Amino acid sequence: MGGTFVVYSDKPQLVLELIGFCTGAGRKAVALAFDAAVAEECAAKGADKVLFFNSGINLPEAYCQQVAEAITGEGAEGFIVGSTVRGREMAAKVAALLNWPLASDVSRVVAGGGELEIERLTYGGAVVQQEKVRLPAVVTVPPGKFEPSSKPKAGAEVVALSAEPDGRYTLLERTRIERQGADLANADKIVCAGMGFAKKEDLKLAFDLAAVLGAEVACTRSVAEERKWLPPDVYVGISGATVKPRLYLTLGVSGQVQHIVGARDSGLIVAVDVNENAPIFSAADYGIVGDLYEVVPTLIDALKNA
Amino acid sequence: MANVITCYKWVIDEKDIRINPDRTVDMSRAQRKISEYDKNAIEAGIRIANRLGARPVGLTFGGPEAKQSLKDALSRGLEAVYWVGHPFAAAADGMVTARVLAAAVQKIGDYNVIVCAEGAGDTYARQVGPRLGALLDLPVITAVCEVEVDGQYLVATRKLEDYVEKVKVSMPAVICVLPEICEAPVPTLKAVLAAGKKPAQELTPQFLGLEEADLAPGISVTGVLGYVMNRKNIILKDGDVAARVKELVAYLKKEGVI
Ligand SMILES: Cc1cc2nc3c(=O)[nH]c(=O)nc-3n(C[C@H](O)[C@H](O)[C@H](O)COP(=O)(O)OP(=O)(O)OC[C@H]3O[C@@H](n4cnc5c(N)ncnc54)[C@H](O)[C@@H]3O)c2cc1C
Ligand SMILES: Nc1ncnc2c1ncn2[C@@H]1O[C@H](COP(=O)(O)O)[C@@H](O)[C@H]1O
Repeated sequence: MGGTFVVYSDKPQLVLELIGFCTGAGRKAVALAFDAAVAEECAAKGADKVLFFNSGINLPEAYCQQVAEAITGEGAEGFIVGSTVRGREMAAKVAALLNWPLASDVSRVVAGGGELEIERLTYGGAVVQQEKVRLPAVVTVPPGKFEPSSKPKAGAEVVALSAEPDGRYTLLERTRIERQGADLANADKIVCAGMGFAKKEDLKLAFDLAAVLGAEVACTRSVAEERKWLPPDVYVGISGATVKPRLYLTLGVSGQVQHIVGARDSGLIVAVDVNENAPIFSAADYGIVGDLYEVVPTLIDALKNA
Repeated sequence: MANVITCYKWVIDEKDIRINPDRTVDMSRAQRKISEYDKNAIEAGIRIANRLGARPVGLTFGGPEAKQSLKDALSRGLEAVYWVGHPFAAAADGMVTARVLAAAVQKIGDYNVIVCAEGAGDTYARQVGPRLGALLDLPVITAVCEVEVDGQYLVATRKLEDYVEKVKVSMPAVICVLPEICEAPVPTLKAVLAAGKKPAQELTPQFLGLEEADLAPGISVTGVLGYVMNRKNIILKDGDVAARVKELVAYLKKEGVI
C-alpha cells in the first residue's frame, strides 16, 4: 500500500504499539520523540525513521507547529497518536494546523487505501459508531489495541531537529502522581463504591467486604473526583479504568452508562442499591435492592460463614 | 468590556436513548440538555470573568433545536449567548465544529479567555477545545482542574495520567476544564426569570463568512449500533435483608465466584 504514517505518544510502550499498527497496515512508520532514550528505542524496535525534538523538560504541546511541519515534510497521510491527555491535545492542535479530520479514541481502526475505517463509542458508551475517515487524517488510539513492534528495521535513522517552543507557554511545575490505588487491570474480583456512601469513613464497609471476597476496591468518577475519597486511578468508566474481573460487585452505584461501560465485560456483575429503578440493575446479573449499610454487614457475615 | 466565552453543546440526553433488541438505536423520544460537563465549564467561565472584570458569554453551535438551549444557558449566569443553528450541524465532525466556533469567536471579538469542557456528552472526543485554540492561534491548556488569573496570564493546574502540571500561558487563551474545576449550581427561580430578558444573538453561517467547503466534514458515520447488556437481571427485593443476602450468597456459590 505504501504511504507514511507519523506516530507519537508520550507513553513509550504505546509508541511501539502504534508502530506495530503502521507495519500491519503496510505503512512506513515515522516516530516523533521528545526524549533521547525513547528516540533510540523507537529506532531499535521497528520505526522506519525517528524525528527527535530535543525539548528538554518542556511541554511537547509547545511544539505543535513544528510537528505539523514535520508531518508535511514527510509527505505523511496520517498522524497516529496515543490517546492520553497530552496525545489528544497534540493530535487536535496538529489536526487543526494541517486542516485534517481527527477521529478520537477509536476502539478499532483499519487502514485502507485513501481512508480509515474506525469504530468508537458515543453517548458515554450507549452506542458504538462506525465511521469512515478520509485520509490524510489524525487518529488517537488508546493503549492495548495493537501488538507492540519489536524488530529493528535496517537503516532506521534518528534525525535530531532543533526547534523553538511556542514562547507563550511556561511549565512552572511537574509533579509525579504516586499511584496509590489497586491494580484493577489484573484484579480477579472488584468491589466498586459509589455515591451511595454517605461519608468517607463508611468506605470501610467496601474494604471489609473486599477483604472477605479477596477483591480490590474501585469507585465511580464522582467518588474519586468530586468527593476525592479514593485516588483517581481507581475509578472505572469511559474516562477512567476499563476492568474485566470475574466478579464486579457495586455498592451504591447508580450504573450510568459512562460508568458501566468500563466494567461491562466483567464475568459477573452484582449490584446493591436502594433504588430499584437504578439503571445498574439492568446491567447486573444479580442484585439486591436495599440499603448498603444494612446489606453489606449482613453479606460480610454470610460470606464468612459460607 | 472583554468577553470570556464558554462553548457549550446542546446534546441528546443519553439516558433517553432506547436500544432495540436488534441493536438499532431509537433517539426519537430523547430530550436534549446542555452537555453535563459543559455546565461546569459555564460556571468556571463566569468565575473567571468575575475575576477579570469581563463579561461571561456563551457560544453554541447545533441544529435549529439549539435555540432551545439559550434560556437554560442564560439562567446559569451568562450575560449573553451567541448561537449558530443550522441543519448541517447533524453531520459536522470536530473539524467543522471547531471551524464554526472559531469563526463565531472572531465575530464576537474582544475575548481574553475561551472555556471549553473536557469533552461533550455525545462525542466525548476531547478534540474541539484544543482544535479551536490552534485555529485561533491561541495557547491552550487541557485537562484543567484549577485556574488562577495572574495579570496578563492564566496559571492552570492540569491533570495528566501520571503527572500534575502547573502551566502558565499568556491571554488570550483557551482552557479545557475538567468537571471538578467547580460545581455547576442548579439555576435559581430568579435566575430563570431573569434569563428571559438577556440577549441571545443568532450568528448564521453566511454572516460568519463560512463557505460550503468549510462545512464539509472529513468523517462520515457509516453505522450505528446500540450496546446491549446481556445479563441475568435476577433482582432480589422481597423478604428481609438476611433472606436476600442468603439468596445472593447461594447464587454466588453456584456461579463459582466465592
Ligand atoms: C462525559 C462523561 C464522562 C463520564 N465518565 C465517567 C467515568 O469514567 N466513570 C464514572 O464512574 N462516571 C463517569 N461519568 C459520570 C456518570 O455519568 C455518573 O454521574 C457517575 O458514574 C455516578 O456515580 P455514582 O453512581 O457513584 O453516583 P449516583 O449516580 O449519585 O448514584 C448513587 C447511587 O447510590 C444509591 N444509594 C444512595 N444511598 C444508598 C444506600 N444507603 N444504600 C444503597 N444505595 C444507595 C442511589 O440510589 C444511587 O443509585 C461521566 C459523565 C460524563 C458526562
Ligand atoms: N457544537 C458545539 N457548540 C459549542 N461548543 C462545543 C460544540 N462541540 C463541542 N464543543 C465544546 O468542546 C468541548 C469538547 O467537545 P468534543 O471534542 O466534541 O468532546 C465541549 O465540551 C464543548 O465545550
